[in-house]
Order: sequence, then C-alpha cells, then structure tokens
Amino acid sequence: MSVTSMATTSPASSQRFSPARRSNLYFVWRGVLGDPVARIAAVIIFLLVLCAIFAPYLAPFPPNEADPALRLQPPGTPGHLLGLDHQGRDILSRLIYGARLTLLSGVVPVILGAAISIPLGLIGAWYPRLGEVVMRVMDVFFAFPMALLAIMLAALMGPGLGNMMIALVVTLIPYNTRVVYAAASQERELAYIEAAKAMATSDLKILFVEMLPNVVAASVVYSCTIVGAVVITAAGLSFLGLGVQPPIAEWGIMTSEGRSYVFVAPHIAALPGLAITVLVMAFNLLGDSLRDSLDPKTRLQLVKHRAAPSDSDEGKA
Amino acid sequence: MSIIAFIGTRMLYAVPVLLGVTVIVFLSLQLIPGDIALTLLGRMATQAQLEALRLDLGLDRPLLVQYAGWLLDLFRGDIGNSISQQLPVTQILGPKIVNSLILMAGSLTLVLAAGFVLSVASAPRFRTFADRAVVALTLVLASLPVFWLGIVLLYFFGFKWKLFPISGMYNMVDPGGLGQLLHHMVLPAITTAASSIAVVTRVTRSRMIDVLGQPYVLAARARGLSRRQIVLRHAVRNTLPTFANIGGLQIGYLFGSVIFTEIIFNWPGVGLLLFDAIMQRDVPVIQGCVLVVAIVFVLGNMVSDVIVHALDPRKR
Repeated sequence: MSVTSMATTSPASSQRFSPARRSNLYFVWRGVLGDPVARIAAVIIFLLVLCAIFAPYLAPFPPNEADPALRLQPPGTPGHLLGLDHQGRDILSRLIYGARLTLLSGVVPVILGAAISIPLGLIGAWYPRLGEVVMRVMDVFFAFPMALLAIMLAALMGPGLGNMMIALVVTLIPYNTRVVYAAASQERELAYIEAAKAMATSDLKILFVEMLPNVVAASVVYSCTIVGAVVITAAGLSFLGLGVQPPIAEWGIMTSEGRSYVFVAPHIAALPGLAITVLVMAFNLLGDSLRDSLDPKTRLQLVKHRAAPSDSDEGKA
Repeated sequence: MSIIAFIGTRMLYAVPVLLGVTVIVFLSLQLIPGDIALTLLGRMATQAQLEALRLDLGLDRPLLVQYAGWLLDLFRGDIGNSISQQLPVTQILGPKIVNSLILMAGSLTLVLAAGFVLSVASAPRFRTFADRAVVALTLVLASLPVFWLGIVLLYFFGFKWKLFPISGMYNMVDPGGLGQLLHHMVLPAITTAASSIAVVTRVTRSRMIDVLGQPYVLAARARGLSRRQIVLRHAVRNTLPTFANIGGLQIGYLFGSVIFTEIIFNWPGVGLLLFDAIMQRDVPVIQGCVLVVAIVFVLGNMVSDVIVHALDPRKR
C-alpha cells in the first residue's frame, strides 16, 4: 500500500482537530491512492490533461491540415498512426487537440455548477423559508431528464460552446444544490453551530467560515462522481450540433462527422468514441473510489475486514 | 395509508410540478435571441402574420398574462404550429410519442430484466469473481456514450454480420407485424438501455448485499434454508422496493438516451423529431417535444412510486 506523506503527517498534525476531520482526509488518501484501479484512472486522466496542454508539441500534424489524397485511409497508414478522416485530416492529431475542448466542456460546467450550488444550498439550509422555495423550484427541474433539459436550453439559446456550457451549468445546479442542502441541513443541528450562534457570530460567518468546510466535501464528491456523465452529455450536445462547431476538433463532433462514413471507414467514428469511453471510465473509477473512501458504510466494512479476516464472504450469503 | 389514498396524494403532488414544468418551457422562449414572433413563424412569415402572432401571444403585455394565455391554449391542446411543416405541433407529436413509447417499453423491459438477473447473480457471491465481473461490466456500460454504442452495434450487428435491421421500425416493403417490430427494436433497445442497466444493477446489488447481512438472513441460515431459498425468498423480496424505485427513475435517463438512439437508428419517434426541429430551429416543435417528455417522465415516476408503495408493506 502506498502511504503518501500527506497521510502520514495528517494524524499527527491534526490532533487539535476533531477526530472526524482527521479521518476524512486519512480515508480519502488511503482509499483513493491505496486503490490500484483508482491510481490507474488518475494516471489516465493526468496523461490526457498533458495531451490537452501540450497538444501543439505532441500532435504530428495541425488539427485542420488536410491531405485530400489520403482521405478515409484506415489506421496504420504510413505517417498517420490512427488513419485519416473524411477530409484527409490526421485522426491522432485531432484526438490530441480534441482532448482540450472535450475535457473543458465536461469539467468547467461541473466546477461552475458547484460554485453556484454551494452558496445556494448553504443559504437555503440556513433560512428554511427561503430554502423551501429554492428546493421546490429545483424539484421542477428534476421533472426534466438531464440530457433533455440541456438539449432544450442549448437549442433555444443557439449552438455554440459558451451556450452549451451555460445549459449544462443550469442543468447541474439542481442536483448539486440538493446535495449541499441535505448536508448543510444536518450540519446546522450540530453543537458547533449552536456554539457559534451563542457567541453571536454573524450568519454569513457561520455559513461560510464554520459550515462551509464541512459541507464542501459532499459537493466535491458528488461533482467527481458526475464528471463522467457530464463529459458524455457535453460530447452528446456537440454530436447533435449544439456545442462545439466544426471544423474545431472535439471528440463528440468527430464521432458525429464519422457517422456518415461508418460503412466505408468505421474508424473515423470509432476512435473518438473510444477516447470518450476511456476518459469517462477513468473519471467514473476515480469518482467511485473517492465516494467509497468517504462513505461511512464502506469504512465500516474496511475496518471489519481488517479486524476479522476470517469472516469470509460466504457468511454474507 | 391505503393504496388509494396514496395514489391520491401522489397525484396532488404531481400537479404543482407539472405546472412548474409548463412555466419553465414557457420561460425558455425568453432565451431565444432576437424577435420571438419571427422565430416562431419562420423567415417566410408576412408582416401581417407577425403582427397577428404578437397580438395573439400578447408580447406587449406582462409575462404573467402571456403565460396565462399560453397555458389556456395548452389545456386546449394547442402548443402552436410547426414552422417547417405548417401543421399543429400536437398533430405531429401524436404518432411520434407512440413510437418512442414502444422503444422505451422495450428498453425498460431490458433494463429491468438485465438489472435483476445481474444483481441476483452478483450480490449473493459478494467479492467473488462473478461479483467482480458484474461490477466491471456495469462500469463499462456506465461509461459508454450512447451515440457511440449505437454506431458500434449498428456497424457490427447490422452492417457486418447482418443480424438485425439498421433503420426504422418496419421493413420498407411489406411493413407490419409484431415480429418485424421486435426484430427492428433489438439494437436500439440495447443501445438505449446500456447505461441504465449499469445504474439499476449497482443500486440493486448493493441493496441486496445489505439485505443479505441482516439478522433475519442469518436466522434463515440457522434454520437450514439453502442459499437459493434464502436469495429467492428473503433477499429478492426485500430488495424489490429498491429495485422498483431505481427502475422507475430510469424512465428519465432512457428518454435522454432515446434521443440519440432514434437519430442513429432512424427510429421515427420524439427524439428524431426533436433532432430535426433543432436542425431547422423549429421552436414550437422543440417545446412540444420537451413538454411531452417531461409530462411522461413525471407520470412515469408517479406510477413507479405507487408500485414501490404497494411492494413495501411497512409503508401501509
């Protein structure tokens, strides 16, 4: 098991904090970094981020440079490892450049959504009447399937990267707000909040200094588990022609362009779709691992398993 | 609470949500950049038509008044006219909804069947190879973009191996018949169902693992019941409410996926209609599609809540 410097220092340095806080950090590091599958997922995401950042240095060709003589050539064509698309552009180069917008359009809406949901959920939980109104409005948004709401908003605002991101942020807010609201509603009943109130701490200070650090974990975990789904939805919007516009390289739109040539040159649609699958799988694995490491139930199992290794799985059935 | 009373309250809860849905669809018009009347009627509209529509929508009046008029029209079954087809939206939507619901029913059946079988196959074998294989499968299924899975299935099973048709609901020559429909539905239903199978399996499996750790399961073991009897009699029965709940929630996800499936397999449903409407910026049709899907979603969730309630004796 890999014990990072963070994990070894945290129990000692955090003795003055409550034990719950120390164990959170401990379990996150131990759970995520001690899990080999999650480590592989983290490496895949890291490599794809590097691809996105250093695309101009890594890609053998500019993303829109076309060689019409070689159009539709399959993977393995000399000089073009992954083949060429319907316009004769190098698919490997377009995949490397495409990582940029694919990652951005999946990750940015999640971050913006969390940034809006956290204060919204906190304030909603603190002022019950206001919270009631906010959550009832959110309930209405839950009546729309997520993908459909994003499609409607993006379609009406008009196609484009910016509008697509706005549509995704609006779609994500209700889900994340509900998570924050639930966590904050539990926190406000705890003794430290009562103590802060007794000391006449201002509402704003209680919410954003006292409560925020204890609520933010729930929102971050939720955000991490949903990034994969948002990457798919964002790529899907571009696939529908509502997001990134051609000739910009992005994996969703590359899949969409390849669809017309699927019987002649299946690799054009297959490769970007495969790239999306790998990226999403990595995000999902990492998100699951993070959630498990913070879930009290799983912790209990971990502890149990260590305490009584003879308690075989057969006993479960 | 008796089941009738529960259905009654649940329907009352649905009313404000449905009203809220109409508010959002109505307000979404405000997102359109530029002249609403021009967008609704299309570029071919004459000046007189534009003026008439502005008057009809009451664009000069307060939003609330506009909404009231719009809602009244909606109750009369009038969501406006399609720009591209010059027909009432409701008239176009009718047959498309039926086609989408057929595909949805097929997908939901597949989701429930696969989710159930995979859960029963994995949970009692917690942490064995079979269990891990199912977990790995759900991970893959949850990570597949629906539009890509559709293309892959279409290429291999439709084009290369010619096992299933790749387009539409019926053959071009001699259309009709349930057998033909089912044959056409196989690939679209699998495509639509994939990610939902993953969600249902994960939730049901972990609930069943919880159930199998309960004292009454230990008691059943002590009484000498076989593993099969315990799983089928106790574990499955106590997992059913969770299963029905998560199954019902999939209706919404399935609708999200159906849009992509219909485009790829050329299935003449709401999704394909929506896609064409997006391409032509046919706003009334877009609104109609979204409204219909949201209503079906809310009603579907209501039905699943009632089923969950009926399955759980503790709630009575």
